Amino acid sequence: MNVKALTLFISLILLCPLIYLVYNVIGLNSENFFYLWNSLLIDYSLNTIYLVFLTSLFSLFLGIIPAWFVSTSNFKGKNFFDVILFLPLAIPSYIIAFTYSDILSYTGPMQSFVRNNIPQLSPYVNQDYLQIEILAFLMALVLYPYLYTACRISFSLIGSNYINISKNLGMSQFKTFFKIIIPISRVSIFSGLFLIIMEVLNEYGAVKYFGINTFTSGIFRSWNSMGDVDTAKILAVCLLILVSLFFILERYTSSKYKYNYKPNDNISGSYNLGKSLRFLINLICLIPFLIGFLIPLIYIVNNVLKTINLIDLNELLEISFNSFFLAFVSSSIIIIIAVLFQFLKKISSTRTVFFFSEIVSLTYALPGAVIALSLIMVLSFLSTNLLNLVGSSIVFGSIIVLVYAYVMRYMAVGISPLRSSFEKHPESYDQTGKNLGMSNLSLFKKVHLPINKTAVLIAFILCFVDIIKELPITLILRPFNFDTLAVRTYEYAIEEMIAKSSIYSLVIILFGSVLLIFLRKIINKSVNVS
Amino acid sequence: MKKLLPILTLLFLSCSSNDSEQIVNMYSQRHYDVDQKQYDNFEDKTGIKVNVIKANADELIQRIKNEGENSPADLFITVDVGKLWQAADMGLLQEYGDKSLTDGIPESLIDKNGFWIPVTYRSRVLVYSNERVEKSELSTYEDLANPKWKGRLLVRSSSNSYNQALMSSLVANLGEDATQEWTKSVVSNFARDPKGNDRDQVKAIAAGQGDVAIVNSYYIGLLLSSENEEEVNAGNAISVFFPNQGEGERGSHINVSGVALAKNSPNKSNALKLIEYLTSDEAQEIYVNNTFEYSVKPNIEPNDIVKEWGAFRKDPLDLNMLGVRRNDAIRIFDAGGWK
Repeated sequence: MNVKALTLFISLILLCPLIYLVYNVIGLNSENFFYLWNSLLIDYSLNTIYLVFLTSLFSLFLGIIPAWFVSTSNFKGKNFFDVILFLPLAIPSYIIAFTYSDILSYTGPMQSFVRNNIPQLSPYVNQDYLQIEILAFLMALVLYPYLYTACRISFSLIGSNYINISKNLGMSQFKTFFKIIIPISRVSIFSGLFLIIMEVLNEYGAVKYFGINTFTSGIFRSWNSMGDVDTAKILAVCLLILVSLFFILERYTSSKYKYNYKPNDNISGSYNLGKSLRFLINLICLIPFLIGFLIPLIYIVNNVLKTINLIDLNELLEISFNSFFLAFVSSSIIIIIAVLFQFLKKISSTRTVFFFSEIVSLTYALPGAVIALSLIMVLSFLSTNLLNLVGSSIVFGSIIVLVYAYVMRYMAVGISPLRSSFEKHPESYDQTGKNLGMSNLSLFKKVHLPINKTAVLIAFILCFVDIIKELPITLILRPFNFDTLAVRTYEYAIEEMIAKSSIYSLVIILFGSVLLIFLRKIINKSVNVS
Repeated sequence: MKKLLPILTLLFLSCSSNDSEQIVNMYSQRHYDVDQKQYDNFEDKTGIKVNVIKANADELIQRIKNEGENSPADLFITVDVGKLWQAADMGLLQEYGDKSLTDGIPESLIDKNGFWIPVTYRSRVLVYSNERVEKSELSTYEDLANPKWKGRLLVRSSSNSYNQALMSSLVANLGEDATQEWTKSVVSNFARDPKGNDRDQVKAIAAGQGDVAIVNSYYIGLLLSSENEEEVNAGNAISVFFPNQGEGERGSHINVSGVALAKNSPNKSNALKLIEYLTSDEAQEIYVNNTFEYSVKPNIEPNDIVKEWGAFRKDPLDLNMLGVRRNDAIRIFDAGGWK
């Protein structure tokens, strides 16, 4: 089979809405674009940069430091922390934003409690909490697990050799961390951070609620407020170009600093901790879980209990099934394609294969609504011009289109862990295999699949959890009378009925949590992550 | 995968309509619980099943537009009449024709072009702190530009369509220049950057972060009927004021939640029956008591909570202007620095 042709074919299917979008934008003459450019875009871009910067910074703190301690030190509760530190990923960013603004609001539990019990403190807690810094922190709380996961795997794969050598050279833990571990984990840190940045870029609901105008707000300002879809398309393409540049930069640096290592011995127990340090580490690991998961969960459960008599169990089951089914099918397809791409990249060293297997990740940076829009455009173009599909309604409002959109959108989430895993294994594996006369297929079955098994499962679970949380694409492309958990949560939340939305968010969080705990178990078992 | 195939096929087929079944397909920007109640009620009465897709109005417009002649959409319902005007302007709607559908609805709420039919209406009103503001200090929307309100006004972002509709009405009534001036002064009176939703503005008054807010009337109803005692307290800390009620003044701004027939509606007669039901006294009763909106039928009284705020005079502006002047409104927001 021609590797090049296969890669090209799959990538084109995935990218065709995007290509159509870019094609559509060329030659558009939009007066509104220049208007926006002159009046708002600088302000919007600065906000975006600030939000991305802050969220990344918070995520780095929340993700890397616990990952380091959990990987290298033995302390009580370490295994417990290793499980719970994944969990905030189960909470969608819009849910954490709505939940915390409710908790912190004037009528919320915190301020009410202070007002009624310690009135002298009340003026201090009576603040406007809808601030960009707080939003960045809230988003970091549910996004840092991307970094945590990436770092945990990376740190464990590094093995103890590096640490032992640095110890022999008399370097402190602190110095080893910054001088050795961080540089050689650069690829993983970047890939985790890249996902976080893209999530921040395409975030719209929470950003709007907090009154912060980002670049994505600009897209929606022209589409929704000015009714000017063309300008929205131009802006979306600008965003795409921007992200592409960043993406190329990231890929370039990571290919320059490629480290291969053999997963050798355990790095846990590399450092012994003093008592006070142990306490500090417990705290560092506890805080992200507490604020990012436990508090919102308690709040949501409390709301569910308050509205429990309103819950229609049959309906809840049906909606949960919809979510589950969509996430399962889409994640499976993503994983199959992502694994295929990584493998093709291994066996073929042509630039084309490399290029296309990389750029399919770009769709992740676009707001879901824009992906849905370009998909609608390309389908209507195809159905009217090429295929003359009668009853395009079936195509539009069908599960298949929805799955197609999810696969496009979440390709990057699947690719990211797979790529770091595939890249970690030395090329000598392939060479040895070939010297032994293995065919490509058996090389894949006997070598690549087994050694990347964990990454496959990680990728699947990450995709699954993400798709269960997905909102804008589902809203736009879904069939009649079709709801998912995320859609229900959002509909109630924006109508300012947080309590009623709780049961749906609870199911999302529980689904996600179970999977993430499972994920932790898999990692433990198969890579000997310690 | 083999096991999944039948399920997939089933789901795929379930999306296409079955000819023998009586249906009507609704594209809806409304997502209140009461809507489903109405549709179930309608199905019980007529045997016609209402299929619904809910999303944001602009997204639905794009979907209808791109589906073209094959669009399954029969009806398009929004919470902002400006979007209905836009859909009509883009050629996505057809005139409903049957004038008897608007029987009993006041002339001022009816579309002069014959595309959309009002289902409910809501007013964008002022609410003020009972502690810090005297009712007599308030008068009109225009007066919010008065320097006496410096650092005291609260309102949500200009990306919100209710604010855009209000601004469109000001452009239509006062002209662009005057509205521009007004906006600059109002922005300089803001207590904080626009953020949050309407309910958050009321809470901010209760919290003392500002004194007067611009909000939709029904949110106060929702707040007052909340199960959270603190929210009810916040609702009681403020009062509702209908602006522009004085002698010779035009009345308070209103916006309509309306429904229109899609251009390529495949189930037109069912769609008309649904419109007829939604504007019936029975359906109107259900609306006013669940969402605290106003009925388009003068004979249907508002909910008790709403009634307490008293009757008010509505701005008689042609409601299509809320769409026609939308782009001007956006530019004025941007030029005035209303985030």
